[in-house]
Amino acid sequence: MRAAIEAARAGLNVAVVTKIYPVRSHSVAAQGGINAALKETDSWEAHMFDTIKGSDYLGDQDAIEALCKEAPSDIMELERMGAIFSRDAHGHIAQRPFGGAGYPRTCYLADRTGHSLLHVMFEQLMKHGIYVYDEWHVVKLVAEDNISKGVIAIELSTGKLHRLHSKATIIATGGYGRVYKTTTNALSSTGDGMALALNAGVDLMDMEFVQFHPTVLPRTGILMTEGARGEGGFLLNSKGERFMEKYAPKVKELASRDVVSRAEQTEIEEGRGVNGCVLLDLRHLGAKKINERLSQIKDLAINFSGVNPIEEPVPVKPGAHYSMGGIATDNDGGTKVTGLFAAGEAACVSVHGANRLGGNSLLETIVFGRRAGLKAAQFCKDAKLYPFPDRFLKDASQEVAVIYERENGESIFKIRNEMNDAMEAHCGIFRDRDRLTKGYDKIKELKERFKKVSLTDKNDNYNNELLHIFEVGQMLDISEAILVGAINRQESRGSHYRRDFPKRDDENWLKHTLIYKDGEEFKIRYRDVRVTKFKPEERKY
Amino acid sequence: MKIKFNIRRFNPDDSKLNEPYFQAYDVEVTEGMTVLEALLKINEEQDPTLAFRKSCRSAICGSCAMKVNGFSKLTCSLQVIPEYKKKGRMVIEPLANHKQVKDLVVDLNPFWKKIEKVTPYLTPMDKEHEERSVSEEDEKTIDQSQRCIMCGCCNSECNALEIDSKFIAPAALAKAWRFVGDVREGDKKKRLERLSEEHGMWDCVRCIHCTQYCPKDVAPLKQIEMLRSSAMKAGILDNPGAKHVEAMADSVRRVGRLDEAAMTFKTLGFLRSIGMIPFGLKMELHGKMPLPILFPKIEKIEEVKKIYEEAAKQGTEQEKKKEE
Repeated sequence: MRAAIEAARAGLNVAVVTKIYPVRSHSVAAQGGINAALKETDSWEAHMFDTIKGSDYLGDQDAIEALCKEAPSDIMELERMGAIFSRDAHGHIAQRPFGGAGYPRTCYLADRTGHSLLHVMFEQLMKHGIYVYDEWHVVKLVAEDNISKGVIAIELSTGKLHRLHSKATIIATGGYGRVYKTTTNALSSTGDGMALALNAGVDLMDMEFVQFHPTVLPRTGILMTEGARGEGGFLLNSKGERFMEKYAPKVKELASRDVVSRAEQTEIEEGRGVNGCVLLDLRHLGAKKINERLSQIKDLAINFSGVNPIEEPVPVKPGAHYSMGGIATDNDGGTKVTGLFAAGEAACVSVHGANRLGGNSLLETIVFGRRAGLKAAQFCKDAKLYPFPDRFLKDASQEVAVIYERENGESIFKIRNEMNDAMEAHCGIFRDRDRLTKGYDKIKELKERFKKVSLTDKNDNYNNELLHIFEVGQMLDISEAILVGAINRQESRGSHYRRDFPKRDDENWLKHTLIYKDGEEFKIRYRDVRVTKFKPEERKY
Repeated sequence: MKIKFNIRRFNPDDSKLNEPYFQAYDVEVTEGMTVLEALLKINEEQDPTLAFRKSCRSAICGSCAMKVNGFSKLTCSLQVIPEYKKKGRMVIEPLANHKQVKDLVVDLNPFWKKIEKVTPYLTPMDKEHEERSVSEEDEKTIDQSQRCIMCGCCNSECNALEIDSKFIAPAALAKAWRFVGDVREGDKKKRLERLSEEHGMWDCVRCIHCTQYCPKDVAPLKQIEMLRSSAMKAGILDNPGAKHVEAMADSVRRVGRLDEAAMTFKTLGFLRSIGMIPFGLKMELHGKMPLPILFPKIEKIEEVKKIYEEAAKQGTEQEKKKEE
């Protein structure tokens, strides 16, 4: 939406296509905040260094510089648009400490920051009169001779396929958390745009880097914000020890997410867990602070785990949370295909490298959403509108017809569940060649079986089963890309931890993984990391 | 534990099933399972054709609002077993006051249109690009209204919307207060004038359903009341809603009770009051017409006057404090 707003401001005729309503997008669930060096005692250089260190030096430093330098003015712009932030005693935007950051620079609205910002984006969408194709799911990006010509989308209320003809297309479809069984992500976070782009000839970058958030509720995977630790929460094992003292003596619970998740997993695997979890203890913060700053967290813990954090510690465990990887873009969202742009979690610029810091994802959507919108607008001023190749529409409707005609095939839910289990078991926090290969073989098997799934629901209107077939097909492609990247990266960096290669290896692996499709085959190549200001050094918290 | 779910279904595309009907599903429910999880389980294990909306499954996106045992709820944050134990049944229906499109999916276009009607974006007071200082108290004024996730529970339960589909309804009104109450907003008066028009904020009948059924504690009625009192303070009085309030206050001040006939004239004016004659005759037939002329003062009218004076005094004091 940020991209659409910027393009509309530049005078372009813009429309948003979304499979759910705009205010349902999963940014709405971002709790903790958005980073920017606003204070005089802080600096964008410090923010940049923290982000680079957090990325385990895999982030491209020129992109991170843009992110951190432009953050303060973007926050002010949000404020002008009407965003509501929590304030300090002087009425200025308040900031709280977050994991991996050397300064309290996370702006927030209680524990509802994403909700506040997403609704502001929706308001601006209406202000600029941007047309929204609500509940339309894109089934194909149309690119010919490396030029983007629009998309084909299915209108979910009728089942009709439509062509949407455009000079430029910006993908902002978010992450793929639903590839995993335990995930903080929405049911709709199925990585649609990444898989569509891969199939349109675009590279996916650094897909092996999957962030596991350290504090999610068991069973449901619902997120307990990092703000809970930012406000002073402890993590305890079954013996009641603050185990982070062992793993990150200096900053303890506020080490970066990959470090905390690995520590938790180690505690659990070594028998110091509590029913497969560790404990998030907020009791010492007191009822007042919890009610004011973490009220949503309190409600979620009560409603979904039956635990009141004012009275008891909350059992939590790591869960798939964020995709550092995504559609490879330049610093203005541009991809290999002319006229095709990407921004946000769907994209990989890369500003997060091997591990993202809390508070940097909302920031990325705003800074790079704006940049992509502006660039697309400039591009459209000179670009010509190519004719829409109708064979793509014919192919798409043929593909849908084939699914409808198939009888007695397997259930899509079964395939999805097996994919979830395989990715959880074989491509989680701790990895090795053996596990990853098993996972890869399983996904290949599921891809074959996927070709034979059939529909029970033969209706056209609101056919959720058909939508899910599209989604699972895309997630299988994404799973394969993650596994291919993970098998080939023979080092441990950020969120990607290989037990058979436990050290970071800058000599051979200070580079980005690029995955592309050659026919049905996934191919791999590498690109060097752009290092400008900060030379790689050992990462300790 | 096995629980029977009765679900109101409808599919306009199916010639055999194009009237709404109930279908029962037996679902094996585990401890802690939410209604939404049970619906997903029905999809997976019994019937993939059952249509409903869902996304975040953590009570923040607003997709999965439905009627559960007669009341509008977010199904993702409602646990099955406690609800079943309390009510002894599990009946799932689509939101009310919206057209059922298929099964549990309703047409939300009118909902979004109403939101659009309140100009739902900030019109900053000054155009320069710098941070406005906002006090904690200022932020608190609008914090509750901005918790809205646009799930539609309030509009589904709204009694005024049920009889007037053009009524702006609580969700949009809560959104309206989010801007009228914002210290940074520049067009407060214009907004309040538009909200005072027909089908606007004065058409709310204050049944409190919106506040009672809001899953995020937005309390739309409270926001509506703040809009109304802001409008009156801003001198926007030339409309039946504000006149009704004035007539009511005046009547109580004068006679210590509601002189309903006189209030009708004051609220609607002479011409529109004539239109109320058939309604008045019907009331008369049922013996409910108050006597318009013989309307005696209550005995202790002096006490009422004191209350008015005290209220006025306290009001001015509060205003003074706020200015300081």
